[in-house]
This record gives sequence, C-alpha cells and structure tokens, in this order.
Amino acid sequence: MGLNTRIEHFHLVTEDLVSFTGLMGTGYESGDTLSGSPNMDVLLARVGTHRDRRAFAVLFDYFAPRVKSFLMRLGSDMPLAEEVTQEAMIMVWRRAETYDPRQSGASTWIFTIARNKRIDRLRRENRPLPDLSDPAFAPEGDETADKMVLRREEEEKIRHALKNLPEEQAKMIFSAYYEQKSHREIADQSGVPLGTVKSRIRLALNRLRAHLDEVEGRLEP
Amino acid sequence: MNEPASLNTQLLDALLLDYAAGSLSRPLEILVETHLAMNEGSARTMRLLMQIGGVLLEDSEPVSLSEGALEAVMSAIDAEESKIDPVSEIRIETAASVLPRPAADYLPERGCTKSWRRIGLGIFECDISFGAEQGQAKCYRIAPGRAVPAHSHTGAEVTLILAGGFSDETGSYGPGDIAIQEAGSSHQPVADNDGECLVFAVNEGDIKLTGPLGRVLSLLTP
Repeated sequence: MGLNTRIEHFHLVTEDLVSFTGLMGTGYESGDTLSGSPNMDVLLARVGTHRDRRAFAVLFDYFAPRVKSFLMRLGSDMPLAEEVTQEAMIMVWRRAETYDPRQSGASTWIFTIARNKRIDRLRRENRPLPDLSDPAFAPEGDETADKMVLRREEEEKIRHALKNLPEEQAKMIFSAYYEQKSHREIADQSGVPLGTVKSRIRLALNRLRAHLDEVEGRLEP
Repeated sequence: MNEPASLNTQLLDALLLDYAAGSLSRPLEILVETHLAMNEGSARTMRLLMQIGGVLLEDSEPVSLSEGALEAVMSAIDAEESKIDPVSEIRIETAASVLPRPAADYLPERGCTKSWRRIGLGIFECDISFGAEQGQAKCYRIAPGRAVPAHSHTGAEVTLILAGGFSDETGSYGPGDIAIQEAGSSHQPVADNDGECLVFAVNEGDIKLTGPLGRVLSLLTP
C-alpha cells in the first residue's frame, strides 16, 4: 500500500511538472525544446513514473556522452569509459523511480550514479546502492513546483559562482573532480602547503554556500 | 552542542570534497557517510558538492558513444526487467541499533570479547575490516572521564564520534563531530564524564605513543 501511494504521488507530481514546464502537448520528442536541462529533470521523472523509453532515449543522448567524457577526463581509457557509462545508464533506468525532481536536478542525480559506478569499478566490488533519498542527498523539500524552480536557480548560481572563483580556488575544485586528486595529493603535487590547500577549498565552498543561502533565503515566509 | 574548532571545519570541507569527488578509501567513505547522517550542516555541504559535480558533468564536452550503445543498454534493461524481483529491492533494517548507520553495521556487539581488546584502563579497541582496502579502521570505547595516553600519528587520523564525547588539545567533540589529527601531531583525548565515548577512527599511518603511559599501552597491544 505504501508503495502504491508513493507511485501515485510521484505520478501526480510528474503530471504537474509536465504541464508546469509546458512540455505537455508540445511533444517532448521535438528536439529543440530539449536543449535546456529543466526538461531533462522532467524526462528523468517520467522514466521513473512511466518507464518511458522515449524519454530515456533522449536522456541517454544528452547525458551518456557527457558521462563518458567525464570518465575519460578522470583517466579511463575509451573502452572502459564506454562500458562504465553504459552501466551507469542502466542504473539510471533501474533507479529512476527514486528520483525526485524537486530535490535534485537530473545532472546532479546522474553525477552521483556515475560517481558510484566508477568507484565500484575501481574496487571491483559491489557495494550496496546509495540511498539517494537519504537526507544527505536530498534534504526536506516541500510539495510545490516553486521548489523545483529554486533548485534550478541554485544550479545556475553554482555554475556562475564556479566560473567566477579566484583562479587558485577554482584550481582546487577542478583538481578534485577532474583529476581525482585528494586534497593531500593536490598539496603534495602542486607544492602548495596542505594548510593553504584546505583554506582555499574552504573559501571556495563558502562562496558557493553564500549563493545557495541567498536562493534559500527567499523560501522563508 | 559543541562548537567545532575553526581549523577542524576547514579540514572537514576538504574531506567532504574528497568524498564527493570519489577519492576516499572505503573506510573513510563509511566514516563520512555516517557523519552525514548525523550532521545537517555537512549534509547541506554534500548536497552542494554533488550539485557542483552535476554542473561539471553537464558542462563536459560530449564524447560520442560507440555505434549501438543505446540499443545495448536497452537490451540489458529488457533482460533485467524480465527477472526483476521487487522484494529484493527492499532495504532490510538491521536489528534495533541505537548507533547511526552505516558505521553501526560494521561494529561488533559490545559484549563480544573476541572483537574488543582491552588496551588500557577503561579503553577498548576493535579492528574494523574492509577487505583489502587501504587505511586502518578501528573503533574505540573509552570509559567516562578516562584519558587516552598521549600519542602521535605518523599518518593522518580521522575520528568520528558515534556516542558520548571527548576533549583534546584541539577542542571538544560530541556525537557526529569529526576530529582530524594531521600527520606528526600529538594529542591526548579525555572522554566526557557523562557516558562512554565510542569513536570510529581511520588511520593512514602508524600510531606512535608519546606519553609516559605510552609504553604500557604498546605492551598491551599485540
């Protein structure tokens, strides 16, 4: 009963989102309406609620080449990156019903899946799937589409703030995500003292947190 | 609630970034995941870090997949759908554990004398195994008010407080807090008076005993 209620709930949410983004009636197969990623959120939610294969194919076309690119940047060779990408996309299908567009964007959600797939592959072990509904990944959200708009806005703010970080701070963030260096390795290999590396990471995250606080501040009554 | 030292907060951000980017050892991952379940501020930071990952993913220059990749994925999905067993997807909660998960899943029973070794007056330790993963993980139980002999670390040590609390030269720590000892640093933690202190510690190097009691402790350790 709990499961049915939940499915019903997600179903309703998705219908709202589809009409909300103006996707309904226009046919989401028309390519030009799909360039913006808010639609990716709706499509991913649709895969979850309707097991919609066309929606999945569009998601695949958009995200799989990006996941592959990201993995190659981290040092996977072409065939391995391809294989892990395919595994990640299968996981996207399998886990889509746990996706909640009010709480995370499709790109964030798919990033976590690809991250975990990559780690699993490195370890050659199958650990339990991450619980993406865990508060760590998705703090409390309310039931409105407003929340989704604000969430989108958050991502735009993050994108903007990342572009405007001071060079030495941005370098720390990019080395972590793109070169898979721990903060210790960054310090060892760049010759920057460990303490400086940590304070730069702290400063960078503070800037990004400030942008989020500004968006969230508007949620308060 | 304890106010973590500002230095520690700095270290914490670096650790959370390493987690998000996927460069931590398995024991440290478990430690961070448990911390996230206990600390709302860090959970918010992790959400931000995953969003950063999403933005960087989205802005990546696409690299074409091989011919027929989507078809391969769809047929893998078809093969899977036909044998899906919804029951196996349901998470089974472990027996009423008061300790936060996921670290609690790795802890032996309190009374399990095989796992817990007494290493000093009112101090017990047990090894937590993560297979071949690097990084040594241990749990310590420290009786109320008890001081752990002063020791230094040749590698960094990250400690998550699961229950109770302790103080050392860097500050006071309570449940959910992370204390980080840099390589070469020395400290002498003292458990709070109001209950047993239980911590989960991951060490990236050997512990060297520095205090006068150090020798005794090292003799007790096999």
